[in-house]
Amino acid sequence: MDAKAECTQGIGVAGESGAFKIQERLQKRHQERAEEAERRKEAKESRSVAEEKGEYFSSTFDTERASIEELLSSCTGADRAVVTQTLEEATVKTLQLQKFLNDSMLFLTQYELRRAQDALQKLQTSSAEIREEALPKKKFAFRARSKATDKVSAPESDTPAASVSTKVAVAPAVSVQCGFSNMNNVCLTKTAEEIHKQDVLLTHLTNCKVRLFGSPSTLHMKHIDSCEILCGPVSSSVFIDHCRDSTLAIPCQQLRTHNTQDTRVYLHVTSRAIIEDCHGVSFAPFSWSYPTLKEDFIVSGLDQNRNNWSQVDDFHWLAAGTPSPNWTVIPEEDRKTNWEL
Amino acid sequence: MGLLTILKKMKQKEREMRLLMLGLDNAGKTTILKKFNGEDVSTISPTLGFNIKTLEHKGFKLNIWDVGGQKSLRSYWRNYFESTDGLVWVVDSADRLRLEDCRQELSALLLEERLAGATLLVFANKQDLPGALSKEQIQEALALDEIRSHHWCIIGCSAVTGNNLLAGVDWLLDDIAARIFTTD
Ligand SMILES: Nc1nc2c(ncn2[C@@H]2O[C@H](COP(=O)(O)OP(=O)(O)O)[C@@H](O)[C@H]2O)c(=O)[nH]1
Ligand SMILES: [Mg+2]
Repeated sequence: MDAKAECTQGIGVAGESGAFKIQERLQKRHQERAEEAERRKEAKESRSVAEEKGEYFSSTFDTERASIEELLSSCTGADRAVVTQTLEEATVKTLQLQKFLNDSMLFLTQYELRRAQDALQKLQTSSAEIREEALPKKKFAFRARSKATDKVSAPESDTPAASVSTKVAVAPAVSVQCGFSNMNNVCLTKTAEEIHKQDVLLTHLTNCKVRLFGSPSTLHMKHIDSCEILCGPVSSSVFIDHCRDSTLAIPCQQLRTHNTQDTRVYLHVTSRAIIEDCHGVSFAPFSWSYPTLKEDFIVSGLDQNRNNWSQVDDFHWLAAGTPSPNWTVIPEEDRKTNWEL
Repeated sequence: MGLLTILKKMKQKEREMRLLMLGLDNAGKTTILKKFNGEDVSTISPTLGFNIKTLEHKGFKLNIWDVGGQKSLRSYWRNYFESTDGLVWVVDSADRLRLEDCRQELSALLLEERLAGATLLVFANKQDLPGALSKEQIQEALALDEIRSHHWCIIGCSAVTGNNLLAGVDWLLDDIAARIFTTD
């Protein structure tokens, strides 16, 4: 699958128009290599700069944070006027700290970023609490601002922002969608023709054995309990939510696993698998096979030689250096090898 | 000369815009960003944190922020609101199960003071999927017609084929430009 060729809109820089002369290409490639070598050298040097910057960031950030915390704690017992003024000062400082974080983001590690974001959130929460407690009636904030923004809002804007309470009935989902729902204790199969390039949905299945031959565009699974689900190569992502005590075997481009417990995943993933709010999820390389698997890999566009099954990111476990306790690799001797029904 | 005029003048010189891409995880935000920039979209991993791309388009310098949409990351979205000119809300048009979640997150976002004044572009993405809802259905499901606080527009697109991405971004730029770069 050539992604570039499909970019029909000819978006800006995308797409190579016309044929380059071979010589031109060679020259370009040579130049690129030289530049790449240079870049690598620079990257090496800038890495140590980045580390220094990270340290500078952390210490500055922590000092600022401590001074805001001090401001906030000075509010206890103070009278109304003092609290108002102190809170205002704290808010301005918090905004500056936010700005500092925004400006520093480029060189921070995920861990540092997350830590700083958490700290900011805490500051905002505790100043909101103090405000609530000390100044219960008067609404604090930079309200005056909304005047200026009125000017740029939609012309028909005489009513306030949209109400949030409307419930919208969405067209009956499952009937038109390819997949299975609300089944217990059965074996379910779909053929390559049925599956071909479809978006497949499996919901509310208990104690079922599911075989999806062929290559779907995407696969969603929700509320799966004690099932065995095997699927051919999925060209984009697989999205799993609320799955337990099950065995899955899937090739895909991305795997996104949520709220899942005690489930074994035999995986082929060409980019990454992530878990969020999961525990007891274990992984092994995809090992199911069926006669047209190779053709289906071709249909899906997935690279059969690239499998990152063991590189799982836990979005709830960001401590640097310590592996997530929420997933494991299935030991080789425990891996399932016989997939007969 | 008022402050607003000065700000406008400054911005005009830079011709720089800050766009924030948000939406539920798996909607296709990162894929849209990379496709728009002409990069390979087959190797994209789920976003932990954010991506920033700076690119030139139509004489503007666009700073596009693509922020992860996982549940655990949504509370951080607010950290990115400051000085946003345009908000791109990306929807997986085939994900019917989470449309309600999607509607709630969007309407909560539109109440944010720091986003007041930002132009809203809704991308009804993944139109290439056979089970995708049409952009009209998405418009209804997200109750877009009730929005009074922002300029908005919905466009059906596919990040995989690239279809309509340009149309969406062009509309967004025109709307923002008319708002902040007009001389008085
Ligand atoms: N069929 C189809 N898949 C898409 C489209 N856009 C994104 N995807 C897939 O959806 C998955 C999630 O995309 P990603 O950009 O990582 O989502 P994000 O979490 O919003 O950044 C990936 O597997 C993409 O290949 C689209 O327009 N059509
Ligand atoms: Mg992403």
